[in-house]
Amino acid sequence: MARKMLIRALPPEWDIEITQAGSGREALDAYRAGRVDVMFLDLTMPEIDGYTVLETLRREDLNCLVIVVSADIQEKAQERVLDLGAIAFIKKPVDAAKVQAVLKDYGIIV
Amino acid sequence: MNAPLLTQDQKDALQEIANIGMGQAGASIAKVLDEFVQLSIPRVLFVPPEEIPVALALTIGEGQVSSVRQAFHGSMRGEALLVYGDQRCNDLADLMGYDGKLDHASELELLLDVSNVLAGACLGEIAKQLGMTIGFSAPSLMADAVPLESLLQAEALPWKTALLVEVNFRLEQRSFACHLVMLMPENEVAALAAALDRFLESF
Repeated sequence: MARKMLIRALPPEWDIEITQAGSGREALDAYRAGRVDVMFLDLTMPEIDGYTVLETLRREDLNCLVIVVSADIQEKAQERVLDLGAIAFIKKPVDAAKVQAVLKDYGIIV
Repeated sequence: MNAPLLTQDQKDALQEIANIGMGQAGASIAKVLDEFVQLSIPRVLFVPPEEIPVALALTIGEGQVSSVRQAFHGSMRGEALLVYGDQRCNDLADLMGYDGKLDHASELELLLDVSNVLAGACLGEIAKQLGMTIGFSAPSLMADAVPLESLLQAEALPWKTALLVEVNFRLEQRSFACHLVMLMPENEVAALAAALDRFLESF
């Protein structure tokens, strides 16, 4: 459900292939398989949470852009994920305009 | 075998919406306490009322609990239970800057205040996401340091099945933990199901 809500908020003209992951572990698997350039990452997830995914990515030479999408809107949560290397924090429910703005800021879409 | 009260899609949607509500409540309480609040994945399940303590024990553990109840009404109706573990008041009083000299009555008042903030923020956001109306009765103390299994006996719910939505808040570095349980009787679930369908149709 969370993934559907996010996918609906992605720019329709953005030409990408989407890989969905149901947990932090699946996200890391997809990343390690080289399928990820941009990762939209939740924080509250089964098995491995978003913070741990960020820490792991950083240890493994973070070479994808991570945008955290979470309902955890505490200021400290936002600070933590940015410290851990996420490029942006988007709160749930996801606002399509916000996604678009972040992607433009980073030159991911024009 | 009765038809399930909510479909899997409806349950998934409710879980995600509960997640958003939990985030709102977590941020509110983090601000009040000036502490980082750890959130967990919400649970959504149907249980007969007598099995609620068993269901709660899975996340709360055994031991004594205190509990606050708050009824909500509007197009979304039911009861919110806020269940706190043993250490609840010492930690709360400490966090709010009292010097461990808080008398029992003030402790309980603090517990009611915190409960009110959590339930209001969480359920208010769930109702908002679903386009439902919600109002709250004043919170009241339901149990003061009782064993978890006796939690609902005094306040037996005359329902056959209850929808249980549970979110948990835990403070890092502290033993304070609160479990917010939203209970709805089965005859109130139809309105919720219709609202979930409207929500799902927007996809």
